[in-house]
Amino acid sequence: MALKDIIHFGDKSLPVKRDEDDPFSLLRRRMDDMFEGFLHGFDLRPLDSRSGIFRPSIDVVETDKDIRISAELPGMEEKDIDVSLGKDSLTIKGEKKEEKEDKGKGYYRMERSYGSFSRVIPLPTEIDQDKVKATFKKGVLTVELPKTEKAIKETKKIDVKSY
Amino acid sequence: MQDMAVEGGKREAQASEKAERTRQRKAYLPDVDIIERKDDIVIMADMPGVDETSVSVTLEKNVLSINGKVDFDPPKEHRLAAHEYGVGDYERSFTLSSEIDRDRIQASVKNGMLRLVLPKAAAARPRTIQVIAEA
Repeated sequence: MALKDIIHFGDKSLPVKRDEDDPFSLLRRRMDDMFEGFLHGFDLRPLDSRSGIFRPSIDVVETDKDIRISAELPGMEEKDIDVSLGKDSLTIKGEKKEEKEDKGKGYYRMERSYGSFSRVIPLPTEIDQDKVKATFKKGVLTVELPKTEKAIKETKKIDVKSY
Repeated sequence: MQDMAVEGGKREAQASEKAERTRQRKAYLPDVDIIERKDDIVIMADMPGVDETSVSVTLEKNVLSINGKVDFDPPKEHRLAAHEYGVGDYERSFTLSSEIDRDRIQASVKNGMLRLVLPKAAAARPRTIQVIAEA
């Protein structure tokens, strides 16, 4: 018996089963697609932080007596940061400058971002404007905003009772 | 980007299989710019919260590792009102090619930015050869 009789080499008339017809391979493909989309979905950074425009991240911590706002501004100088207090908001402005000496050179990797930014943080309570302190250390800006006596007093704790 | 979780614009570093972390802290991959200049390669890494006492740069064989520790003591009895970035350590490694002069690597930190200058070895520097007219 010739080999040709057992295995149909290049037999055009042989029906070729396509993946789509097989419910299991279709399911598998769908699953693969789903996982792929799921993993890519992890890149949840805001669009502007991916496109290279600097937008600092801010953490706001509140205690009973004050509000502390911190922002990560690595590689910036104090003089390039502008903090202003409005009636019910705090604005942090600045520009992260690209170092001129390195311009026009060969970049291997460019992950850091530059540019000007302005972020307005709404303040929930009244702030003692004279006691606001801002410090910039190790690339982290911290603004301490003590609440006014009035605001502290006005915070009422409501007891939750059970029936 | 598939193997990294992103929090507040920072990418979390994955613990390598060889070395486990000794601190129960999150570690992030600092964002870096790598620039080639004529005589050297500059690496700039954003590591907010790190100063010269809390950053270490080590070179082992041809792997250059940067490691920054961030101390964070939040006030007692606080609540987070807005959370855009996580606080944690930084770590990242780079493999250097043989064209780097390992003895002259310089590192400096300013305002939370680490700057590494990796001078090219003399053999790897571009050279212009002067052409002289034959008599």
